[in-house]
Amino acid sequence: MSGSSTGLALVVAAVAVESLAQLLLKVGATGGAACLASKYRARVARIASLGRPAPWITLGVGAYCLEVFLYTLALHHLDVSVAFPLGSLCFVGVALLSRVFLGEAVGRTRFAGVALIILGSAFLAW
Amino acid sequence: MASPNPRIPRTVIAGIALAVLLDTVIQITWKLAVAGIPDDASLGATVSGALSGPYFYVAMLAFGAQLINWMRVLARADLSYAQPFTALSYLTVLTLSSHTLHEHLSPARLCGVGMILAGVFLISRTSHRTPDVQRGTRA
Repeated sequence: MSGSSTGLALVVAAVAVESLAQLLLKVGATGGAACLASKYRARVARIASLGRPAPWITLGVGAYCLEVFLYTLALHHLDVSVAFPLGSLCFVGVALLSRVFLGEAVGRTRFAGVALIILGSAFLAW
Repeated sequence: MASPNPRIPRTVIAGIALAVLLDTVIQITWKLAVAGIPDDASLGATVSGALSGPYFYVAMLAFGAQLINWMRVLARADLSYAQPFTALSYLTVLTLSSHTLHEHLSPARLCGVGMILAGVFLISRTSHRTPDVQRGTRA
């Protein structure tokens, strides 16, 4: 894999991990599986009943540390002007995860806002 | 377009504002912590270099405060509503770094600033919290 494709893969991985970290923190902040969309809530509750309550916040912070590590590695392969706007794709990741797993109302207005933020960050890095 | 929601709790607004402030502190101090370290320094040298000054510890303190603050925000607002506001820290960091480095703000960058502000404005016009019934959590 060439340097830039390694860098791109690392940024994509960092974005996915950061979006997941935010999801885990949200679940932790609202006291567990209750904030999940109903179809996932039942499944997660079943897993949770097997042992102690899931350490959502610890998992979220752990995912954040992994994200910092991945993004730092990515910066060794990519220019900041490329890595920075790609990193802002986590706003899309969070919007999608919030819609699918939390059942949040992510409509056209929120997606349009996210699109403008990503475009704006591309201009900032230009 | 969704109608504006005038009843966003003050705690959510204050929490988001604090999140942007703390994010700015984290990014600036993190940058300062590694500022003097040469690019070709080994991993060990980079880590010990970052740990030798005060900035790294300020960044860690701010990170801890941010975690507590962010959990409070997320307990009261949608994740997909609150998280995009953190893009405002791009603007505060840009403003601070261009001020200290005396960088010129190019037209492209000003366009970017405008777009981020417009994006955050659009999201602020949506409801800060999806009702439980709509989320299907009262199944």
